[in-house]
Amino acid sequence: MESGSGDGTGGFSGVDDYETLISTTDADLLKRSWRNEKAAPEILQFQSSLVQRSREQIQLMEETVEELVTNDEDPLTISLYQMDIDRTMFLLRSYLRTRLQKIEKFMFHIQKTADLWTRLSRQEQKFAKRSIEDMKQHLEQSVLSKFPERYQSHLKQSVISEEDDMVPEPKLDAFVICRTRKFLGALPVDDSGEENPLDMYAGDIYALRYKSIKPLIESGQLDLV
Amino acid sequence: MSKPKHNFVVSQLGHETKIYKFYDHEQCTSQLRDYLNSKMYGRKASQLLKEFVNSESGQLTGFNNDVFAEVIEECNGHVLQLEALLRKKQVEGSSDQTSKNADHFGALIHHLSFVRNKRCLMAYVYNRAEVIQNLGWTFKRDLPDAIKEKLSSSEKEYFEKHSATLQSYMSDLNDLDLAIDMVPPKDPYIKVRVLEEIGNEVVLSDQVANLAMHAILFLKRNDAESYISQGKMEELTS
Repeated sequence: MESGSGDGTGGFSGVDDYETLISTTDADLLKRSWRNEKAAPEILQFQSSLVQRSREQIQLMEETVEELVTNDEDPLTISLYQMDIDRTMFLLRSYLRTRLQKIEKFMFHIQKTADLWTRLSRQEQKFAKRSIEDMKQHLEQSVLSKFPERYQSHLKQSVISEEDDMVPEPKLDAFVICRTRKFLGALPVDDSGEENPLDMYAGDIYALRYKSIKPLIESGQLDLV
Repeated sequence: MSKPKHNFVVSQLGHETKIYKFYDHEQCTSQLRDYLNSKMYGRKASQLLKEFVNSESGQLTGFNNDVFAEVIEECNGHVLQLEALLRKKQVEGSSDQTSKNADHFGALIHHLSFVRNKRCLMAYVYNRAEVIQNLGWTFKRDLPDAIKEKLSSSEKEYFEKHSATLQSYMSDLNDLDLAIDMVPPKDPYIKVRVLEEIGNEVVLSDQVANLAMHAILFLKRNDAESYISQGKMEELTS
């Protein structure tokens, strides 16, 4: 997709200078968001304006293709356009799908963590709410209703547990592969307290713990691959 | 050395006492082992999970109603004993320190065993539910009977509800079907073979095709994908 310059989505604003901003297309942004979402263990901020723009552009391109078909244009040109649409559609679908699968997996954790909950789109929140209801009911019917009240929580093992000790959580200290987008300087990459800063140059690829680079991904200085 | 002719085995577990009398040493030990296995707290629940783990990932084995019910029963047994011990503790007050301790730890063991069983049951149901969630991506509403047989009634209900939730999310996005395009597209058209009679004038997005059995066609990927996931077509790769 050639049209449309990235006019700064929430997550990437304030980082890129004007030059790179103007040369980044929405297709690039979508690809980047999709990659990050695929590789990150937890759910990331929903790129609502990007998704909105991508869908509008897909629609526009579909109209163009129809026009080309009615004008009896060269079939090769049409199929190239069609392929472009298909690829963008795949990115978009896969992006949304990956997010839904994360919601399915960590629904209880996302629900009780306000920070994560606000990362979901309105439709995703609705999806999560319904999924949680369904799962809760299923667990209650199958197991919990057969227990005395003290043991009936689906989040805690029993009333004595102080914290929710039965909620699956994403492993934030998992290793991820990431690429720097610009020189970041020395970076403390582990919390062992050791003096072990890492000089990160643009385009370098590292395998690091997700936890330690989380803020850099959120601000768009690092990409996951 | 000749084996002893009679073996008496006394086993005391919980509040049951059993005396076994066997003539054969081998038989005695194997039966005792079975007995102990069946009596060990939490053994059944772990069996349940082992069964799940051993099944191929993404595949379900039949819901094990029998063992599941037995574990629930074991849980109820724990609760009864736990309550009995707690009552006893209240009634007796602080009389004898040794028996008080014994009761206290007894109660603790019942509590811990119960909680362990609960974790196992929940893990069994939850992990199966995750597999069922994935089925919702492949089959929209109707599960094939072969899979249906393996689910418990609550699981069937869960599948229906969850796939409805998924469908409603997609219709919220102006009917964007997320269940197609599971692999990155290389070519807009793919070569497929029809495996099941589908119909002879099926309207697809760019053509009206005769989808008779064994026909080999060149279809748009988007059109073919739903048939492929239902097993009605296969992609031919050259």
